[in-house]
Formats: sequence, structure tokens, C-alpha cells
Amino acid sequence: MYSSLVRIQNTFGFFTTVAFVIAALIAASDFITPRAPSVGMLKTTNLQVVRGRPHYYSSKKEEYAIIKFSLDADLSSLFTWNTKQVFVYVTAEWPSTSSTIGATIASNATANQAVIWDAIITSPSADHLSNLGPATLKKLRKSAAGKAIDPSRGKLSLKNQRPKYQITHPSGKIAETADVTLRLHYNVQPWVGVLTWNQGADYGLWSQLSGGLSRKFTLPGLKKREEAKKTK
Amino acid sequence: MLSSLQNPRQAAAQLMNFGLILSTAFMMWKGLSVITDSPSPIVVVLSGSMEPAFQRGDLLLLWNRNIFSETSVGEIVVYNVKDKDIPIVHRVVRKFGLGPRAKLLTKGDNNNSDDTELYAQGQDYLVRKDIIGSVVGFLPFVGYVTIMLSEHPWLKTVMLGIMGLVVVLQRE
Amino acid sequence: MASSQEKITVYNLADLKNTSDDAIPNYLNSLKFRPSHRLTDVRLALGYTAFLLAGACFLWDYKFGFDATKWYTAAAVALYSAINGALTLWIFYVERGTVYIGTAPSGETLRITSETPRKTLPEYHLTVEIEGKKGGKKETLVVTGSFTDWFDAVGHFVAPPFQSMLASAVPVIGKHDPKRVAPAEEAASAYTPEMLDALSKASVSAVSSAAETASGAESTPGKKGGKRRKA
Repeated sequence: MYSSLVRIQNTFGFFTTVAFVIAALIAASDFITPRAPSVGMLKTTNLQVVRGRPHYYSSKKEEYAIIKFSLDADLSSLFTWNTKQVFVYVTAEWPSTSSTIGATIASNATANQAVIWDAIITSPSADHLSNLGPATLKKLRKSAAGKAIDPSRGKLSLKNQRPKYQITHPSGKIAETADVTLRLHYNVQPWVGVLTWNQGADYGLWSQLSGGLSRKFTLPGLKKREEAKKTK
Repeated sequence: MLSSLQNPRQAAAQLMNFGLILSTAFMMWKGLSVITDSPSPIVVVLSGSMEPAFQRGDLLLLWNRNIFSETSVGEIVVYNVKDKDIPIVHRVVRKFGLGPRAKLLTKGDNNNSDDTELYAQGQDYLVRKDIIGSVVGFLPFVGYVTIMLSEHPWLKTVMLGIMGLVVVLQRE
Repeated sequence: MASSQEKITVYNLADLKNTSDDAIPNYLNSLKFRPSHRLTDVRLALGYTAFLLAGACFLWDYKFGFDATKWYTAAAVALYSAINGALTLWIFYVERGTVYIGTAPSGETLRITSETPRKTLPEYHLTVEIEGKKGGKKETLVVTGSFTDWFDAVGHFVAPPFQSMLASAVPVIGKHDPKRVAPAEEAASAYTPEMLDALSKASVSAVSSAAETASGAESTPGKKGGKRRKA
């Protein structure tokens, strides 16, 4: 009872201690790596509001905003040895309409927020985990052959990008909404440690995201059905 | 005669040591619960819907207080749906309104559509109180033990039995 | 004495210490010393209070859920940490390895603490604090021994040399057990390994068969060899 079991116990205990200490050190190394993400340009290129159904079997009709945009961003400093993936997303944000809450409260810019586009940028070390077709995966792996970290993946350049998500509002109305802005966000997913998002201020070696906010715009009025068909 | 009086104390002390190991583990868990304000501050990922960020068996540390800002879009939250036992870990992708009544919509990074289908009948959005925490920390793979234990329940009994025996038989 | 027939692993220092610790109250109580259980009782009270508190916390959490009871839970966690902290301090600063407190029939109070100062050596250190009958000056004795002197090769505890060590080193004990006091030139270590084996066999054969003991004795050298190869 004593000898072998106790030795196994001690060995296992030591192994876990070492593993946890190493994990803690790796997690802490994030804080001594500078981050300086920047967005060169974020602007809308085409705005559309159409009517449609949330599901094909739904009888309810809602208004959907389709916001096309262009983006130039450099998030390469977010890729370190402890980065598993960076989740990049663009939100449309607009204040509450005075008709629903009351004329006085319409100031808060983030009362409504909806993701219109997102992307998962994996580190080369996490490529094998991404949910891609075999051909795309092969291409992705080839792009970073021999590299453990590939900061160049953090350089984004999108031209007239179609949104992944057409956004709605619970009221069903979204046409002619004023003071809408687009904002770029990121979420760094580590291999071990704390998850981090774009900050509103500088913390230590991490600078806040410079740029990343588009100019305010107003969504257009509802497009007629015929017109919507034409554009397609 | 007097030595027989000594023995119940020793037995009581040994039983107490075993009990204190269990109760200390439990109270540490509850302490973490109180600090993070979450009924379940550490969760194990059970599905692949957040891949590649989270795999099955990864351990997530949650935080359920809104000290500096409200729970907002982009955060990965763990939420409960009425009448469903298993909490879900997904990302908030839409938020309409502010405060406790704000409507939140979630989606798994690896899923094609949002979670409307996963919510209860007639529920289109979550509200803040459905959420038991936002993911703030990540430790890979460690939680796989619990997946093993829940998939093979007899392992639980065996492990608890061995632990009990070792503590009761061995005084350290 | 049933405990002396129990076999322990001689490589386990904790086992050696615990067995020896247990033998002290057995011996002294047999000499009509009156034990005091104050220290143990306080430890048990603290420990079981903490355990019951955790149990109660588990019950209300299970029954009413986290959100409804979180203030009680927070209070319970704080109280639990306080009690557990007190227990730790009690063990480290008040008990500090005490294995026996008792009063001799002649009126002196003994407090014996034990430790094994080094992990790799079979050393047993006893500190004996003696207080006179009328609360007079405190006397402190340090008794050092080697476990090899009262455990045979198989791991049986052999009482006579152990008791003789105590009786020889501590006058208060010697006074009540004069026949165990060894003459100055004949220290406890005078017991050779062969004598220990013989003594242990003599005591065991009274209860169990001699054959069993012999087979146990044979198996040990082989085990020992295996250990050495690993090291």
C-alpha cells in the first residue's frame, strides 16, 4: 500500500503542480506582450432595408437591414504564442428610438447592438481545429507552413463586404433608423489564461484599439419588392 | 480501560479529517460562487458549438457581476433555458435595450444559425437573469475528467470509495 | 495489547511516528497516569462545527438554490474560513505535535510532543514538559530515539525497549515503572535486531501462529531489495 501507490500519488501530484505553474506562466506572458491594434478604415459602402420572414414557415414579416462595408485593420500584434484564435466582429450600433422609451432618453449610443459580420482567425497552431472544408483547410495550412505564429493573418482588408447577418429589431421596424455606427471589435482567445476584448483605454502594454468606429449614418427607407429583386 | 476512551476520539478525528477535506472543497467552490456571483463559476464545455475556441472538456471560469459595464455583444455567456438542464455556452450577437430587461440573442461561433431554436417555446431572446456568467478564463482539457465521470458513472463511485479508504486507513 | 501486533511498513515514516505516538498514551495510562483530552476536544469541536456548517450550507443551497441563499452562503463561507483558520492555528501553535497530556499519580503534569525532524532519517524526537505538583517550575526534557530500536525488521512495534527509553529518560515515568529503567551503561539501543525479532515473535506467538510470522519475515528482505534497485 505504502510504497508504489504513494510514489504514483507523489509523481502525479508533482506533475500537476508543474503543469499548473507552466500554464500560469504562459497565461501571464500575455501581459508582457505589447498590443497595438489599429483600424485604418471602416465605412459603409451600401445600405439596404428589405422586408422578409425570420423563418420560411413564419407568417410574420420583419424589416432587415443589409449593410455592406469596407474595412482595413491591422490586428497582427494580437497574435502571440498563446493566441489560439482571434474572433473579429463588426457591430452596428444605434440608440433607442424615442418612440419606444420616451423623448428624453435617446442618448445612449449602445442601446442596440447587432453583429453584422464576424470572422474566426486561427493561429497556425489551431488550424487543425477550425471547421473548414478539406481544401480550404489545406490552403490555410499551406499559407503558414513552417510558422508557429503568423501575425500576417491579423491584417484585414475587406472591400464592399457583404454582411454575414442581416439585422432586425424586436419591433420589426428598422428602416430609417438614425445615428447608426459600425464598430470593429475583437476577442482574443488564448490557449490558456484570460480572454480579452478590445479595451476602451490603454492598460499597461496593451494599447486601445485606434480607430474602429465608422461615421454615423441613417438607414434608408424600405425598398420596394421589385427593386429588391432587381438588385439581386 | 482508559485507552478505550482514547480510541473513539481518534476515530472521530480521522472521520473529521475526511469530512473536512470534502467540506473544504465544497466551501471553496461556494466561496468562488459568492465572489463571482455565479451559481456555477466553473463549467466544462460539453459541445463543439464554440469550436475552435472551446473544445469538449475545456474548463471555463465565469464572472457574473456587472461592475464596470453591462453584459454586451461579443461576450461569451453561459445561460440556462427554462426546462432544460444543461447550460449552454454561446456568444452574444445582438442586444436590444439596456438594463435587466435588455433582449439578448446568442449564437455559437461554429453554428450557422442563432440560438432562437434552442430557447424555450415562444422565447425569442434571453434576458440578463437567464445568464449565469460570462467566460473570463480558460483552461484547456482539464475538465475532461468530469466528462469521463458523467459518461461512466461507476467511475465516480470507485473514485470516491478509494479516496475515502485512503483517508480513513492512512493518517498523514 | 492488540496494537503491538499490528504490522506497519517500516519505510513509512508517518506510520512509524503514528504507531509510536499511539504507544505513549497506552503506556502511560497503564501506569495510572490520568490523561487530559482538552486539546483534542477543542480540535474536534472546531472541526465538527466547521463540517456541520458546510453541511448546512450544502442543504440550503440544494434546497433553495444559489440566488435565494447567497447572502447566507457568503456568511457561511466567511465563518467557515474563520473556523478553519482557527483550527489551523490551534494545531500549529497550541497542539504543536502534542501526543499526550496527563497527570502522574504523584501529581506532576506531563505534556509530550513528538516530531520526526528529518524526512530521510528514522529519528524520533520527544519533548517532555513537566510541571510540578504545586504548579512549580516547568522542566523540559528532550528525548531522542531511533525507530530502529523499537520496530523489528518486519514492522512490528516492540513495546519493552520503547517503554524503557521513556522510563529511563523521564524520571517521572521511571518513578512509576522502575523495572523498565535501564542501568546507565545499558541504553535502549542495547536491544539487537535479533533480540527485537525474538521479543516480537514471543508476543505474537501468544496470539497467532508462529508460521505466519515467519513467512512475513521472509517476504520483507525481498521487498527491501526491490526498493533498493528502484532507488
